[in-house]
Parts: sequence; C-alpha cells; structure tokens
Amino acid sequence: MIVLGIETSCDETAAAVVNADRRILANEVFSQIDEHTPFGGVVPEVAARAHLELIDGVIETTIEKAGITLDDLDAVAATGGPGLIGGVLVGTMTAKAIAAVKGCPFIAVNHLEGHALTARLTDDVTFPYLLLLVSGGHCQLLVVKGVGNYKRLGTTIDDALGEAFDKTAKMLGLGFPGGPAVERIATAGDGQRFSLPRPLMGRPGADFSFSGLKTKVRQTIEGLPPGDLQEQDVADLCASFQVAAGDVLADRVGNAMAIFQDLHPDTDQPVLVVAGGVAANQVLRHRLQSLSSEQGFHFIAPPPNLCTDNGAMIAWAGIERLRLGDTDAMNFRPRPRWPLDPDAPPALRGNGAAGAKA
Amino acid sequence: MLILGFDSATSACSAALCHDGDTLAHRFEVMAQGQAEFLMGMINEVMEEAGKGYGDLDLLAVTTGPGSFTGLRIGLAAARGLALAGDLPCLGITTFEAVAAGVPETEWDGATLLVAIESKREDIYVQLFAAGLEPLSAPQAVLPEALATAMDCPSITEERVLVVGDAGQRSIASLKGAGLEVALSNALGTPDAGTLAALAARRWSPNSPNERPRPLYLKAPDAKMPKDGGRLRP
Repeated sequence: MIVLGIETSCDETAAAVVNADRRILANEVFSQIDEHTPFGGVVPEVAARAHLELIDGVIETTIEKAGITLDDLDAVAATGGPGLIGGVLVGTMTAKAIAAVKGCPFIAVNHLEGHALTARLTDDVTFPYLLLLVSGGHCQLLVVKGVGNYKRLGTTIDDALGEAFDKTAKMLGLGFPGGPAVERIATAGDGQRFSLPRPLMGRPGADFSFSGLKTKVRQTIEGLPPGDLQEQDVADLCASFQVAAGDVLADRVGNAMAIFQDLHPDTDQPVLVVAGGVAANQVLRHRLQSLSSEQGFHFIAPPPNLCTDNGAMIAWAGIERLRLGDTDAMNFRPRPRWPLDPDAPPALRGNGAAGAKA
Repeated sequence: MLILGFDSATSACSAALCHDGDTLAHRFEVMAQGQAEFLMGMINEVMEEAGKGYGDLDLLAVTTGPGSFTGLRIGLAAARGLALAGDLPCLGITTFEAVAAGVPETEWDGATLLVAIESKREDIYVQLFAAGLEPLSAPQAVLPEALATAMDCPSITEERVLVVGDAGQRSIASLKGAGLEVALSNALGTPDAGTLAALAARRWSPNSPNERPRPLYLKAPDAKMPKDGGRLRP
C-alpha cells in the first residue's frame, strides 16, 4: 500500500510518499519562508499563490525521488483543513485531479490528525495515547483513541504557543519564524532574570493561555533602559520566556496525564506523544521528557522534520484511513476549521478571548 | 483531437469535452462560490457521459484569470494535477479571451469589444478587443468611473463599444457618461468551458510551448509590510 500525501495548509508546500510498512520513500518540503519574511509572518494570499506555483513541481520531485510513478499509488491524500483556506484548496484540488486520472481514492486528511498519528508512523504506538499538539496555530491536549476518534482534554483559549514564540521574536527583531531564533538566543540567557506570568498554572484542567505571557514580554521590552536593545537583555528575555512557557506546558500536561490515567486506568504503559512545530524545541522537549519519566509515561516525540508541517504525516494518515476503507468523495469541501473532537465543550474563555481555532 | 475544458474563474463552474469541433458533453452552472466541491465532479461527469477516459485526452484548457482568487486557484490547481497525472499539455486562456470568444460575430459587428470582469471590490478588470479576438489594450484593473480615460486606445472613443462580462453593468454608466455609444452584449458574462475548449482547439499547435498555466491575478496580494518588521524598538 503506497500513498502520496500533500500538505499545503500553511507556509510549507510539501509532499511525501509513504507505504504501509511505515517506510517514507520520499519527503519533500518546500518552505516559503523567504516570501513571508518581509511581512514578519505568514500572509495568507502570498502563501496561497506560492502553493499554486509550487505544487505540481514538488509532487513531481517527490514521486521521482521515491522511485515510483503515479500509477503505483493506492490513494492520494491531501490536507483538507484546518488551515489557510487558499493553500488547502490548492492541495485538495491537485490531489482530487491526480486521484481522478489514476482512478484511485482521494483522502482529505485533517491536518491535526496528520500530526496526531505521526507517532504511529515513527514509533508504531498503539491506541490510546496522550497527545500534546503544539504549533504556531494549535495548542491542545488530546486522547488519541483511534483513527478519527479523539477526546480533547484542553486547548488554548487565546494564542497558540508557537504564535507566542513568533510574536516574542518579532517584538525583539529576531526575524521570522521566531521559534528557532528564540531557542537559539535563549541558550546565552538567564531564564530567571525576568519575572513573567504563567497563565492558568496551578488551575485544574488542561487548557492553555499565552496572551498574558506575550503581553508581559511586550511590557518588559518597553520597560528596558532607553537606547538600543542590549544583546544580553534579549537573551535573558528569550530564556525567561522559554522557561515560563516550559513551566506552563509541564503544569498543563501534568494535569492531562492525570486525566488520561483516570480515563484509561488499564493502559499498561501510558504514552505521551508530542507533535507540532514547537515539539522541535529541544528545551521544551527535555522538560516534557523529565515530566514523563516522573509520571511513568513513555515519551515519544517524532524527529523535528516530522514535527513541523510535512507531507509524510498526511500520507501516513491517508494509509491509516485507507486501511479502514475510509476515503472521500470528489465533492469534499475544504474546511478552514475542523476540530478533531467536535464534541469537545468550548474552551473556557478569558476576557475578550476569541476561543479555540480548531 | 479530444479537449477537456473547464472553468471556475468567476461566478460560474463549467466543464466540457470537445472532439474536433463537436461538443461531446457539457456542464455549466452559475455558482458564486463552492466550485471546489463541484468542479472535479463535473469533469468526471463529462468524461463518463462521453464514454472517454483520461488516457484519451489530447489537451486541457483552463481559464487563467482574472477573476476570484479562490476560483482561479481551484481551476488552476485542478489543471496542474490533471496535466501532471495525465502527462497532458494544458493551454491557459484568460478570462477576457474566454468571455470575448462567447460573443457571436453578428452581435460584435465591427464594434470595439470591452470585456469587464468583476473583482468583487471597487475596481473592475478590463480589456479591449477588436474582431478576431485581437487585443487592443493590456489587461488591467481600473475603477469604473476612470474607465474611459484609463483605456488609452483611440478605438474606444471613435467606435461603437460593445460591453460584455459580469462587470458589464458597472462599466456602462461610466462609458455613457464619457459620451460613447455603448451597448451591453447578450452573451454570457462568465466564461464557459465549451467556448474555452473550442478556442483552445483553434489555438493549439503541437509546437506550442508546453508550459504550466499560470494565474493572471492583476492584483498584488493585499498585505502591508510591518514597520521595522514588527520590532518594538531598535
């Protein structure tokens, strides 16, 4: 069983070929960072145009590198949402067209499910497991009970953690994307120097909030002595931000672990899987790793290139769905919002918070 | 020569299969949005109705814009997928040419043709043509009130002007105000895949460069550069 996966929901035009033996035959990611950098963030219309320009070339290269032809495919999977709709449209329409010509099924994959199932591709994890999905667009804790079967334990009531990283970097002039820059510069900083808030820490539940942390970063920058920003101040602030983020993550994930064990007391070896772009952050990864060993959870984080957006996770989710005979019709409509757990109650809201995005 | 034409560039969705000048199967629906749901289904339907497989095709034809950004992406992404998977050439035809080609010769009758396409914003997309689809101006986005002056072309002031396109109504008042003799065409204001495929049949030669069709947006992305890249202080 061989599936092509296409991912175009944000600023990476990506495609991959994966087989049912959990082998990635090719995995191409074309990052549009250069096109978005001047704007200091991803511009949806710029992204959508770039996806259309790149999509067929990226697929062609992927197929070539996989050493197969399009005739060898058993299905074509593409991200059907949630995400920036312009890119999702490009990916799904291209996938539908290829599937139509080759007479194979089309599968519209939930981008979040792609992240959620990656640990089964990399580590063959069995259901159920606890998942922390943490990226620029999402921050949620879920129980992965099966393919298409999720229970959301908590989500962010305002910003995603990756968004807070990016905004911190932006305010400090560290460029875009900001997460890797903050992590790099924080290594030279003192994480205890600035006192930053830990929103929701110590409160019950597994929801997140990061906008207060972001605001305090802004106020701290504004309150630094006049003149040019000093390198050490920037490093200390990055480090302090990262420590605060780690404290919040550990607290919320700790609560989620307890909830998971209440829900699934018979699980012999509970597993925490971390996925999404922020899972590429080594400091946070180590923090969650320690927490896991303290709490008796087996910790799994896919390699960084499978944590950030990629086509392999979409191809793999496609394989999982295809094995269950769960494919989509040509009239699938791309979904800008597509929660994994549609029955989850809305996240608790702060003052003026917009609520969860997915 | 078997040609599959399809369009979702404006407020319609259509697909047609043509063989040596005959339309074998055809679908057309007025559709303000949602073409992502219906386009591939329509394409499959015309293929099935004509009893043809994708392997029988010789050429694809698609509208490249201008029009709705979303609509362009839907049609062009489908075109790129079909071209890649079917190893087929694909001819891109602008929305202006596709709409102009739908105006019958009798109605055209020596007039200068103004094709006016809706942008769903203040401005409209326009291009002038003489008989035989000969362009008299470059494609451009203009405000309707500036239309007469923006069309830097003697024929628009000297000749009778026939207007076609889904922004036709919005163009007419401005042109009449400039004292021109203007008529609104009865032809379809949106592209139609049948016309598109027929036009492609006339234009295509085996020597045509085999390029991937590219969108004609006529507008830069709507995004502002943040001051200092969003940096709070020096």
